[in-house]
Amino acid sequence: MTRRNFLRGAAAVSGLTALAASLSPLLELSDFTNVDQFMQKYYKELTPDEMAKVLKRIEGEVQRQYGIRPHVRDYKPMDGVEFVYCLNLTRCIGCRKCVHACVAENNQSRNPEIQYIRVLKLPHGSLDMDKADHNYAPAAVPEPGFFYMPVQCQQCKNPPCVKVCPVHATWQETDGITVIDYSWCIGCRYCEAACPYFARRFNFADPEIPKNRLNPNMSYLGNRPRKRGVMEKCHFCIQRTRAGRYPACVEVCPVGARKFGNILDPESEVSYILREKRIFIQLKEEMGTSPRFFYYFDV
Amino acid sequence: MENLAGKNRGKNGANTNYWLGGIAAAFLGLGAFFLANGRGHAVAQPNIPLVDPKFIATTPWRETYADMVKANEDLSDYDCYGCHERKNPPPIRYDANQKIIIPKEHADIVMAHGAHDRNNLCYNCHNEQNLLTLQVRDGREIKFDNIPQLCGSCHGPTLRDWEAGAHGRTSGYWNRSLGGIQRLSCANCHNPHSPRIPTREPAPGPYPLRGPSPASANPETSP
Amino acid sequence: MIQATRNYFTFLWRCGRIAFVGDWRYYAWMGLLTAICLFGLNAYCKQLVHGLIVTGMTDEVSWGVYIANFTFLVGVAAAAVMMVIPVYIYGNEDLHDLVIFGELLAVAAIVMCLAFVTVDLGRPDRFWHLIPGVGQFNFPASMLSWDVIVLNGYLLLNVYICGYLLYCRYQKKKPSKWFYYPFVFIAIVWAVSIHTVTAFLYVGLGGRPFWNSAIVGPRFLASAFTAGPALIILALQVVRRVTASAPAGITGRATTSALAAPRPATLEDLDLLAHHLPELETVSMDDRLASLHGATVLDVATGDVLLRQRTTEDSAFFVLSGRVVVKREENGRSRITRSAGPGEQFGEVSALAGTPRVATATAEERSLVLRLPAASLRRLMQSHKMNDIVQSRMSERLMITDHGLLMLRSIVQVSMLINVFLLLNEVFKEFYSGNLHVASAKYLFIGLHGHYALVPWIWTAIGLNVIAMALLVLPLSRSLKWLNVACVLCIIGIWIEKGMGLVIPGFIPTPLGAIVDYRPSLNETLVCLGIWAFGLLLYTIFLRMAVPILQGRLSKANEGQEL
Repeated sequence: MTRRNFLRGAAAVSGLTALAASLSPLLELSDFTNVDQFMQKYYKELTPDEMAKVLKRIEGEVQRQYGIRPHVRDYKPMDGVEFVYCLNLTRCIGCRKCVHACVAENNQSRNPEIQYIRVLKLPHGSLDMDKADHNYAPAAVPEPGFFYMPVQCQQCKNPPCVKVCPVHATWQETDGITVIDYSWCIGCRYCEAACPYFARRFNFADPEIPKNRLNPNMSYLGNRPRKRGVMEKCHFCIQRTRAGRYPACVEVCPVGARKFGNILDPESEVSYILREKRIFIQLKEEMGTSPRFFYYFDV
Repeated sequence: MENLAGKNRGKNGANTNYWLGGIAAAFLGLGAFFLANGRGHAVAQPNIPLVDPKFIATTPWRETYADMVKANEDLSDYDCYGCHERKNPPPIRYDANQKIIIPKEHADIVMAHGAHDRNNLCYNCHNEQNLLTLQVRDGREIKFDNIPQLCGSCHGPTLRDWEAGAHGRTSGYWNRSLGGIQRLSCANCHNPHSPRIPTREPAPGPYPLRGPSPASANPETSP
Repeated sequence: MIQATRNYFTFLWRCGRIAFVGDWRYYAWMGLLTAICLFGLNAYCKQLVHGLIVTGMTDEVSWGVYIANFTFLVGVAAAAVMMVIPVYIYGNEDLHDLVIFGELLAVAAIVMCLAFVTVDLGRPDRFWHLIPGVGQFNFPASMLSWDVIVLNGYLLLNVYICGYLLYCRYQKKKPSKWFYYPFVFIAIVWAVSIHTVTAFLYVGLGGRPFWNSAIVGPRFLASAFTAGPALIILALQVVRRVTASAPAGITGRATTSALAAPRPATLEDLDLLAHHLPELETVSMDDRLASLHGATVLDVATGDVLLRQRTTEDSAFFVLSGRVVVKREENGRSRITRSAGPGEQFGEVSALAGTPRVATATAEERSLVLRLPAASLRRLMQSHKMNDIVQSRMSERLMITDHGLLMLRSIVQVSMLINVFLLLNEVFKEFYSGNLHVASAKYLFIGLHGHYALVPWIWTAIGLNVIAMALLVLPLSRSLKWLNVACVLCIIGIWIEKGMGLVIPGFIPTPLGAIVDYRPSLNETLVCLGIWAFGLLLYTIFLRMAVPILQGRLSKANEGQEL
């Protein structure tokens, strides 16, 4: 053993020591994943038994974290249903109650703040997003000379986010809702880059939900609590709508600007609107996304 | 065999050994630094207050007569003949500018229904023959818990939209076979005497992921 | 079979060992790179623990320096292989060895690309969801799935080609054309595809008008072929400098007259040579006898000089026993171009071509050397096999000539001209019509609504690129000093342009008009530096293994000898 070789060995060993020390933050890596979560199959490949096991596991995880036992279901789409959303721009006053009702219903993180709905304040006569104000905070709304346009996931018929996801973690269901399997998403954020409506949100950190504001009525594809590193977005309150109820944003809107229903039902209010209203528009129609979200006016 | 390391025999050989020793020491120091440096911390917004529950409440802005009846509330305010005489409808007085004078007993009423004082006559809606009911222009009597028929007698398109569910909030089940709905009546949102929806305080705007909340931009003044 | 595997593992073992051997400069360099890697690793661990909030990214700007570096490095990887075209299509032997350096750079760059994409993932533990068959691979709809395929395929291609060529060199075997030519051609086409697919990641997004333009693909390729060869020009000069040993002054005796008197060569000498050079057996007896005309055998001691740089004489040499090292002096430093053991040749190139010697050959140990006049060598080469082996070994010397570098310069020159032209196209398209899609371009070039964070960056990049273009066009850059300046300007300018000038402005303003500035955090920067250091570490190790093999100093023949 020459001195040179000894020193080389010493340098190598101390290098490995430094390597081990550099990994020390990983000691705090709790709850990142476990065997069940890591091995969980793709949503569409789960048998009903496997899904039941997964749901039970999720209920246990939520209980451990929040101290409340939730009820997590896997709602399937109903036959003969295609959801459509209509929003009356003549009526919206920009109060942002829909934003916060959504947050409460869907267990979104309060800090970092995730909000699926973004209300834009636009000047009369223009839909140019360049002129949109996201942070208006006047004493009272609506302000004269402006109108308000809430934007959320448009559940497009031709969704660019579904096209670009490399692992099929997001797809469109038969009732028109574009869903995300939070247990499958790898967090590459390509869908967020692809979305023309700024509808998708990423969990940059572990979500913070106050225990006393947790909504325990959960669904697998909807409002079960997410983890850091995955995408989420508006899913038309899938845990409510697939049980036949209106989404939270519709329920809370004080001026009734939000309308939701089954377009395949001619009696629904959305069918009425798309039949009777002379003017309704889709945002960024030229993108070819064919959104299921229509903004209409009262003529 | 050419030996790059051997090239540095002698002075340079010692040189290399010193470097190797120094590197070994530096790695140990680096390791200590990593251990001392700790785990890092997530940097988010320091404090985002929880939203005031009033912004997620679904209670309608106003209570109608029908709601009060349902809730068994005190209806003495609606007992018109407690003050007024039957068969003697109260006269409506105007000032010099043709503006209606609200009697002090009804001081809470602000008349602002229609532009150009269009509805300056109480008896356009109230029934002077029977103060306990309302009336439509063609003389039909409307009960207090059937407001939409009165409002719709002038506001036809709005009535049609309301009946189809396209005006005013509907809550409950979009799938009527699974459950019922709750509709709001006109007076749940509109004050019949000044029906224009008053402005209200908005809920707080979005907090960015990091950094201070950007000030509201006035689109009119931006380039 | 088993022996072949054993041999291969011995080769790998020796390559691995040599990575730990070097002088103080080597240890200092590797130590520094390792330290930076560890900082990056530590920062990444913090990112795993806390999430991507430790970076500067937001929902508004959801891709940052990780993807910016990824984009730049895919270009470098693609360009590194495109250099291969002059060698294989135009048969330019000058660049032959440089091809290996280019491909090794491509391997290092692709590893860096894969690292950058991995650190960008929110859930890297779920990588298996990407594996076709096991996970859910969204091919062909998602361009990201295409990228996964082409990048990994490219990595495998280049690892195979380099590995094969280096192993053949190590074994002093002529590489079989069928085992590498087809792969090289596939690699050339594949190189274009990796960068085009990466461009299509951006181009395919209709919701981002800044990216949704046909010019992005060509711009990517043009800037890649500027930055990639520029990097290689710099890297080759570093290799040249670092493999140079003692400063000017070749050790050894003063003149050839100090050698012991040469004696005429005999058939026995040819037999001894044939022992190490089996191809000699195929030479006919007539040719052998004819070749002995004027052939001599020299018995030399360590340090004896057999031929000198810049002299002209027409003898070629074969080593019968011992070892001769051939060194080239350049810019005051000398560098080994080849190391010849028994059966190997030297001096044959200038003998056959009649050109001056490009290097000096010195005996490394006591050796017996056969010296043949050019006519004798030609006689021996009448045999097909002999001709093949001599020809193929002619290119087995590590010559990084200025001429080769100037060839690369012309690639950089033309690419930068195209790059600047495409930039002008883009600027015109964005600003002339005055339509509303110009918001991102405005943000980048002149600022938008009081936000102008990127403006100084893009104008610096444009300035650097234009100055580099001017330098490259002028004959001034034929001198290495100015060429190096131009290359550095190119690399920095294009790195800024591809990163800050392409990735970030695509996100600002958001599709709903919001402007949120992006600034990489310290943690994010450390991870980036760590990955860059890791790439440089890999490339240094590759060179540390490849150069001795190419020089002939690390070969099967000297297995068992101490390095």
